[in-house]
Amino acid sequence: MSHQTPLSPKLPLVTSLIKNMLKILKLSCLMLILSCSALALKPVDRTDTVIFDAYGRIANPYIFNWMVPGATRSHGMHQSVWEPLFILNYETDEIEPWLGLSFTSNDQLDIWTLKIRDEVKWADGEAYDADDIVFTIDLLLNDETLSLGEAANMQQWIGSVEKIDPLTVQFNLKAPNPRFQLDYFSVRVWGNVVILPQHVWQDKDPFTFDNFDLNRGWPLGTGPYRLAQATETEFIYDRREDWWGLETGFQDLPQPKRLIWVVTGVEENRSLLAANSELDVVGGITLGAFEAISAMNPNMVAWKAKMPYVWLDPCPRQISLNHTIPPWDQPDMRRAISLIIDRRQIVEIAYEGTSFPSKSIFVAYQGMKPYIDAIPHLWIPETSDVDEGKRLLEARGWRLGSGKNKFYQKEMTDGSTQTLSINLQTNAAGIELRRVADVVVEQLRTAGINASNRAIEGATWNDNKAFGKFEGVVDWDACGSVNEPWLTMNRYTNQFYRPIGARAPGNNNFVRWQGSKADRYSQLVAQIGVLPLGGSGIEPLFTEAMQLFLEEQVIIPLNQAIMLIPFNTTYWTGWPTETNNYIHPPMWWMSAHRVIHNLKKAR
Amino acid sequence: MTKPTRTSRTRDEDKLDTTTSPESAQLYDPDNQDLSQGRTSSLNRWDTPWFNWKLISGTAIVGIIVLIGIFGRFLWDTELVYVGKCPLNLPPVGFENSRGQTGTWSHPFGTENSGRDMLALTIIGAPNSLLVGFVAATIGIGIGILLGFISGFIGGLTDDLIRLLAGITITVPSLLVLIIIQSLVEQIGLFTMATLLAVFAWPGPTLVIRGQVMSMRESGYVQMARLSGASPLRIMFGEIMPNLLPYLAASFIGSVSGSILAAVGLETLGLGPQRVPTLGGTLYFALEAAALLRNMWWWLGIPIFILSLIFMGLLLINLGLDEIANPRLRKATE
Repeated sequence: MSHQTPLSPKLPLVTSLIKNMLKILKLSCLMLILSCSALALKPVDRTDTVIFDAYGRIANPYIFNWMVPGATRSHGMHQSVWEPLFILNYETDEIEPWLGLSFTSNDQLDIWTLKIRDEVKWADGEAYDADDIVFTIDLLLNDETLSLGEAANMQQWIGSVEKIDPLTVQFNLKAPNPRFQLDYFSVRVWGNVVILPQHVWQDKDPFTFDNFDLNRGWPLGTGPYRLAQATETEFIYDRREDWWGLETGFQDLPQPKRLIWVVTGVEENRSLLAANSELDVVGGITLGAFEAISAMNPNMVAWKAKMPYVWLDPCPRQISLNHTIPPWDQPDMRRAISLIIDRRQIVEIAYEGTSFPSKSIFVAYQGMKPYIDAIPHLWIPETSDVDEGKRLLEARGWRLGSGKNKFYQKEMTDGSTQTLSINLQTNAAGIELRRVADVVVEQLRTAGINASNRAIEGATWNDNKAFGKFEGVVDWDACGSVNEPWLTMNRYTNQFYRPIGARAPGNNNFVRWQGSKADRYSQLVAQIGVLPLGGSGIEPLFTEAMQLFLEEQVIIPLNQAIMLIPFNTTYWTGWPTETNNYIHPPMWWMSAHRVIHNLKKAR
Repeated sequence: MTKPTRTSRTRDEDKLDTTTSPESAQLYDPDNQDLSQGRTSSLNRWDTPWFNWKLISGTAIVGIIVLIGIFGRFLWDTELVYVGKCPLNLPPVGFENSRGQTGTWSHPFGTENSGRDMLALTIIGAPNSLLVGFVAATIGIGIGILLGFISGFIGGLTDDLIRLLAGITITVPSLLVLIIIQSLVEQIGLFTMATLLAVFAWPGPTLVIRGQVMSMRESGYVQMARLSGASPLRIMFGEIMPNLLPYLAASFIGSVSGSILAAVGLETLGLGPQRVPTLGGTLYFALEAAALLRNMWWWLGIPIFILSLIFMGLLLINLGLDEIANPRLRKATE
């Protein structure tokens, strides 16, 4: 006993140490087995595989909770695993049903009823039904932090949601909204609300759950593919032979047995991979690079068969000046900038002739044409009117310097002399905005404005806009409308006005436009908002609102944005093109489901 | 004693003589004053260590680039260096681009995809890159001389503090810090950039100069100066520094190379001056636009060639100065 006494405290220590080592050993074995099982993918021939460009860095490759900030979903998840309820087809301008069958409203547009397809199943065999939809919407409505994706939109509009029967859900809105289905459930731009499987998520914390466990089949979806492997640089999805759509006769299985999304890096890498047919879709590329890879690989095609090859992106480019910073708080000063800019030259230099100048703040889609055509007197000229621009500056007391100082100057009330200068912030993530800014800066400097531009990191660029920490930015924040004008117009209403230092919600009205004209404009937009889509009453309200908008030169539209998306027909055909325009071509959108189902083996 | 005549001397003896000091030459032929004086003056002229082919050729290369920068502005329209001033994507004269366009004498070095003229970029960009290097190195070496002399000569706690500070600064990953600082600065100009680079250019010279000063402070002439009552400042900058000049010059040129390399690195990452034409900035735009893939070799090739010339010129100057500062090295290469 006397010997045991000093030893006794050590024994539990040793036991504990051994236990811990065993635990570590078990964990290591488990991880080894898991990694081996993850790596043990069945071989699939290249001719049965489609390789996509993940287009950009994946910050969190093991997070498949689409609602948390920073999570990625366009690396194959929302193109092949998570299916949409409806898809807006830009080519036909129709909303096509997918998991949903119909989405109808009452006459007052404040009660919307969704009917979904029967026999839709999650990949684990559980039924996809109204309970899942109600669970998802309630989860978003209960997010008091408004930090989950789509929570702010859902809480803006939905008062309550209820299950009518297993295939029917009713949304009771807080206010009439004719675009409720279009804006949030129809892949209007890129993606929309993804319905969650209640049986997986009901006991999980939506803020921390990563939704990633391949052995349990997570992330779970209803689509014809399941995630088979995820790494920092590659995401592999294998076809499910038990997809609900095949069993119910909705559609045949897509032909590709495997889909791979690859992180490809800079344009040079992406282009070389495509030229070697190691990539079937490139995320977006410049004209020169496309011409180069087309010369190396004649099987490359794009939306247009000839110059400029491009597809029109829904987010036109523009300059936004801060309305709270003098002298840009004056509409005439903002208009002077607009008049000095030669939009034709921007297109010729920054886009090498592949885009075209904007006539209005809207994207030049067919669906927007009636609205753009309704205001020809407000169209923005393609070329500059420098003399008129200078006249406006001089009317505001600015005088062109002489000698070496070629910039406009003004004597201030305190006796000092101020040089007219402006700094434009651009997003460093892409070269496109910087190239646009480079051209604008030269044009402004030639006219006598000491302009400069600065490329900053995307997150900072966004925050600077939201908090008003900028003089001017080159941006795309009028983006929204694709077949009706309200959504873009609503982004500049006074409900979103916030003082400098407070975050502009959703980057709406981040230029901080206010005043009597802004108030009147907001009233008109609110009136448009409750009218049925395409209603005849919209046009006079729209025209008056746009008159106010351009009188105040709230933003300075520049040009339409274009995307050159090369498709490789070496292994697969059936890609969307201008002549085979069954749907629009961006493969990083949720609408890519339609394209994947349309692909045919080339050999 | 037979008087050696010029005609009787062999080529080998001539070669030997060129390495002989003027004093020894005089001792060798005291009677033939005219001849020996003539030869001595000839030897004096050419036997200086400063007549070093590496130094001369390096200086010539860098000098030509500087001269191009100075006189090129009068011979070529340098406004063409800005966006939109020329047709896009033109190849140099005598070449054809992928669209079948041929080069013209209006833009002999070609143009890039924003309509910047490559010759104007060379005229403006190359001296700009040199300027950043020289300014950063001047500041860095200036601080290095000051702190190195103080640290090496005074010693004690001051030495410990300066060494610690220099040691800490050396361990900081400078490129990472520079990238962060660059992203925070509102507008980057050439001098802002040079100042940022100088922040990390001083510790190396400081430590090396300190070592040299420490070894020199115990030498006889310094002891003599001390005994003569010369002030520490007089000893440091009047006695020690002149003996370190070739060495300092070599360090300076090395520092210029390092600073240019750091500047080009930042510019190639897109963190350089936004509108000021630089060689690194040109590389950034070329890489972003997949210039090689587009077969626009001149867009990458011209700045790389000029940068290579600059680095080669500076390296030759550095090697030349090294040989001047270090007689053993000079002897080894002869």
